[in-house]
Amino acid sequence: MLGLIWARQAGLDDPLRLRRAEATRRVLSLELNKDRDVERIHGSGINTLDIEPVEGRYMLSGGSDGVIVLYDLENLTRETSYTCKALCSVGRSHPDVHKFSVETVQWYPHDTGMFTSSSFDKTLKIWDTNTLKSADAFHFKGTVYSHHMSPVATNHCLVAVGTKSPKVQLCDLKSGSFSHILQGHRQEVLAVAWSPRHEYVLATGSADGKVKLWDVRRASGCLSTLDQHNGEKSKASSEAANSAHTGRVNGLCYTNDGLHLLTTGTDDRMRLWNSFTGENTLVNYGKVCNESRKGLKFTISCGCDPEFAFVPYGSTIAVYTVFTGELITMLRGHYTAVNCCVFQPNFQELYSGSRDCNILAWIPALREPVPDDVSEKSLPQQHLNPAYEDAWSSSDDEG
Amino acid sequence: MDLRLAELVEELTTSGEPRLEPGKMKELKKICKSSNEHISHAYHLLLTRLREEHAEMRFSAFQIVRELFSRSHQFRTLLISNFQDFLELTVGIDHEQPLPPPKEVAQKLRKETIKSVQEWHEKYGEAYKKLSLGYHFLKKNKKVDFEDVHARTVAERRREEEKQKRLDNVYKEKAKRAEKEMEEMSQEIADTLTEMENCFRLLLPDPFDFTVHDTELEPNKQMPANEDRPASPWSSQVEVNQSYIECMDDEQPCCSKDILSQCVRTDTELDEKQEKPEQKDLDEDTCSESQSGILALDDDDDYETFVRNHGLLSHKYALDIEISPDIKVRENEDNTAIINNVMDAHRLLRNKFWPSVQSWIQLFTKAGINDDRLRCAIDLKNKMETAMKKYKEMNISFKARKRKVMKALDDDDDDDEEDEDEFVEVPEKEGYEPHIPDHLRKEYGLEPQSPPKALTGTTSTGPPPLSSHTQLKDNEDELDPTCAAATLKLIRDKLPKLPPPHASDSATTEPTGFEEPDSKRRKLEEERAKAPLMPYGLDLHYWGQDQPSAGKILKFASEHRFWAPSEVEEEVENKEISEMLKTRYITFAGKFEPVKHKCRARMPDGRLCERQDRIKCPFHGKIIPRDESGIPINAEDRAREEKMRFEKQAAHPEWRDPEFMREIEAATGVDLGSSKINGKEGKKKGKKKKYPNLTDLKQQANTSRSRLEKKVFNKGAMKRVVKAMNRVDQRKHEKFANQFNYALN
Repeated sequence: MLGLIWARQAGLDDPLRLRRAEATRRVLSLELNKDRDVERIHGSGINTLDIEPVEGRYMLSGGSDGVIVLYDLENLTRETSYTCKALCSVGRSHPDVHKFSVETVQWYPHDTGMFTSSSFDKTLKIWDTNTLKSADAFHFKGTVYSHHMSPVATNHCLVAVGTKSPKVQLCDLKSGSFSHILQGHRQEVLAVAWSPRHEYVLATGSADGKVKLWDVRRASGCLSTLDQHNGEKSKASSEAANSAHTGRVNGLCYTNDGLHLLTTGTDDRMRLWNSFTGENTLVNYGKVCNESRKGLKFTISCGCDPEFAFVPYGSTIAVYTVFTGELITMLRGHYTAVNCCVFQPNFQELYSGSRDCNILAWIPALREPVPDDVSEKSLPQQHLNPAYEDAWSSSDDEG
Repeated sequence: MDLRLAELVEELTTSGEPRLEPGKMKELKKICKSSNEHISHAYHLLLTRLREEHAEMRFSAFQIVRELFSRSHQFRTLLISNFQDFLELTVGIDHEQPLPPPKEVAQKLRKETIKSVQEWHEKYGEAYKKLSLGYHFLKKNKKVDFEDVHARTVAERRREEEKQKRLDNVYKEKAKRAEKEMEEMSQEIADTLTEMENCFRLLLPDPFDFTVHDTELEPNKQMPANEDRPASPWSSQVEVNQSYIECMDDEQPCCSKDILSQCVRTDTELDEKQEKPEQKDLDEDTCSESQSGILALDDDDDYETFVRNHGLLSHKYALDIEISPDIKVRENEDNTAIINNVMDAHRLLRNKFWPSVQSWIQLFTKAGINDDRLRCAIDLKNKMETAMKKYKEMNISFKARKRKVMKALDDDDDDDEEDEDEFVEVPEKEGYEPHIPDHLRKEYGLEPQSPPKALTGTTSTGPPPLSSHTQLKDNEDELDPTCAAATLKLIRDKLPKLPPPHASDSATTEPTGFEEPDSKRRKLEEERAKAPLMPYGLDLHYWGQDQPSAGKILKFASEHRFWAPSEVEEEVENKEISEMLKTRYITFAGKFEPVKHKCRARMPDGRLCERQDRIKCPFHGKIIPRDESGIPINAEDRAREEKMRFEKQAAHPEWRDPEFMREIEAATGVDLGSSKINGKEGKKKGKKKKYPNLTDLKQQANTSRSRLEKKVFNKGAMKRVVKAMNRVDQRKHEKFANQFNYALN
């Protein structure tokens, strides 16, 4: 670390290098920290989390009872231990509250004044953050599994919505109406994701096992359908043709540069695709346990040297390196299935929501003092908390 | 040390005890204290123990975990890092992974774990994040109520409360109803009780009533004994007293007036009679003295004059009166009405009031009513109890009761006046004949009264000899007023004085030979008692008749013109059929004779075999006579047995005594094959349970069903059955191979 700083000062290194090294170190040392807590507001499972990309300060959470809560993540108290406060919430008594489980919440990518939420009550709601009122609502024929707004779009303001119907619908926030319908899937669409690189490119994953890439400017059909066998086997069996997973596809996530797409399916597999060519990169992640019948929200770190993927794995969160498929660690802390996790890139923090109503904050562990420069004084400090002390009785025969 | 640690954990967790053994626990703690390595080793050992499918094992392991948890930080971190699994294994939070049996221990384990999680949370919750998360998880998601150890849900509790409330209401309602009922009925009960009491008093005057006389007698005692008194006012009393003399003796009423009037007297009573004239002369006090069986002793100075005045020869008269201690009231004409009354009252009490009073008390106690109402009910119950007890003590010996209906028909029955009020007298039916002549009985649809013995009280039955049960049945019939037999009996009872027609006939026709038929009759009766009862059959139907045509089969000659058999025997005699008409098969099953002898062969432990087999003991062969010590009495038997023993010994030479060999083996460490000799024992040892202290979970499965299953679903048996079935199929196939539908399979 000191070496890196010195090299940076000397101008020997790329300016990004120190940053990358430190970020990677921090991600690798993520742990359940007793100093960080998230206020318990939800009375039922957490389905979705989103941190606004502008400041990285506010987090939205959607519960399976329709409640949406807004948290402040920033610790301004100057104390080590901090409980993330809930600034406001759309509770059950709120007039505009979702009737059923909220499946996805997302901030408006360019401003914290607005956010969107979609729910099993077949609506997509646009919220004004400051007044905490629903500004608009789109109604659909089927339950809404997922929606997404393009993080880079400047020319359009479209929300892609995946519902129970196989048609992907695009809602134009400017006009407040449905602008497109994308046809091609055979079953319900569980996951949608806009590319962070090209503002008109959309990826959708469906229960029929297919992942399609669309250019929303082209009305005739999809750009391509991802094929897990890269077209080799599909000649033999037409049924398996162009399927990304043999089970349902319930998770989609672009890497930050938008060059790759990560998908998960109920066949307990995770696949990394070249989003430009649509090729399966054949990275082997091993078995990624996935029993969710709905969409699964997983995330990819940002600004680390090898990038990491944080994927819910039963009641734990598995951390993989994206490009090599190596399982780094399992984060244990939840007591039931984890539904979603979200990465905070500024401080390398991870937040996860689970069916056991908890939102857990995974914070990088503080660097432990190197034994060389530890003076004898600091030794007892290690045991500051009396709970960490051993309590063996002193007499020999007592044990 | 690691080995020792594993050993300790195993021993502690397989003890099956609800508490850990402190000595071993201490040792374990000491080992764990020595280094962190040991702690993590112990942690892994314990976790494997917790994963065992046995609640007792888990419980013991949990107890060790609790001990270590409170002591070591290392252990805490290890456990908390895997807290989900721990909770799954000890609380059973995963419904797909319930706690293993036995159930009670699993419940206890659950309870204890929840308790300790709470304690841990209070103590370490802040320091260990996951611990508090787990605690909140249990509290919020699994709705574990840490206050209520029973871990019941709120809904359950509410339901229980409501149920209790509803029950309370129901009881209250019932109690109210019972109260009303009691108010109505208590008057009735009181009436019945007083009626009974009065009846008792009439039947058996209360001995305490006599104290009235006694007090009257008391002043007399103080009077000079020789004072002449006009006997007239006393005479009646004396008489009364005399009749109750026996009762006065030990202040216990022992007989009633009826007994005296009935003139059923024991010898002592006769004695008493002899004494009576003297007694009559005596004064009251002497009389009372004589009651106590001691002649006047107190007046010593008057002694002489007393003797003289009364003309007694001696002062030493002793009057012994023996009294049968139990009371017996006998029914007679005088007290029938009273007894009837008592009986009715008693029946009323027993059948109607007693159950209702009891149910009231039950209701009141259930409803939690604890005031006058309950007291009143208990009072009533006590009163009834005493009355009923008294009734029992009275020991009333009834005449054989007849049904009242019959009594009502009975116009000259004198013992039910009150019945006569109730029942309208029925005039005699026209053409009603109290006695039906024997030859006419058939016309009336009655059984013939042929044997003269029917007079003794049972209706006669037909030709089949009377067996005891038919007689019994007849008696029952007589008791049933709706039955013709009852009427008959009534008629017979009513006319006892009328000489029975047969008797009179015989008396008139054979006045001299009256004795003879009597003896004959008795003989006949005896024979009848001996004769077996047989069902009616063809052989009885044709008894004594010769049937010429029986067994003959007639064959009709063919009337065909051309097709006639050359020779037709028109009549064929079948002897079997004719025999059949005359024979009767009686199965002779013999009689069961219980085996009285025992095997009595000597068993290895010195006792004699107790088996009682008829011919052959399954263990010791044919049963032969043996003496006290189990040695056969017959010489050849003895020799045979000796030989057998010899042969057996030859098979197992003495020097290969298994125990001896085992000792040698233990000493030398060389296998001499001792376990082979006694194969059975060796096998048993091998099968010994691994952890004898734990509850055997498989044992519960040892039901009759499982044992049968073992037999039926045995691989060998299945194979056999399949083979047999295949064989049958095969045979069928061979038989019908040429047929289309069988050829296919």
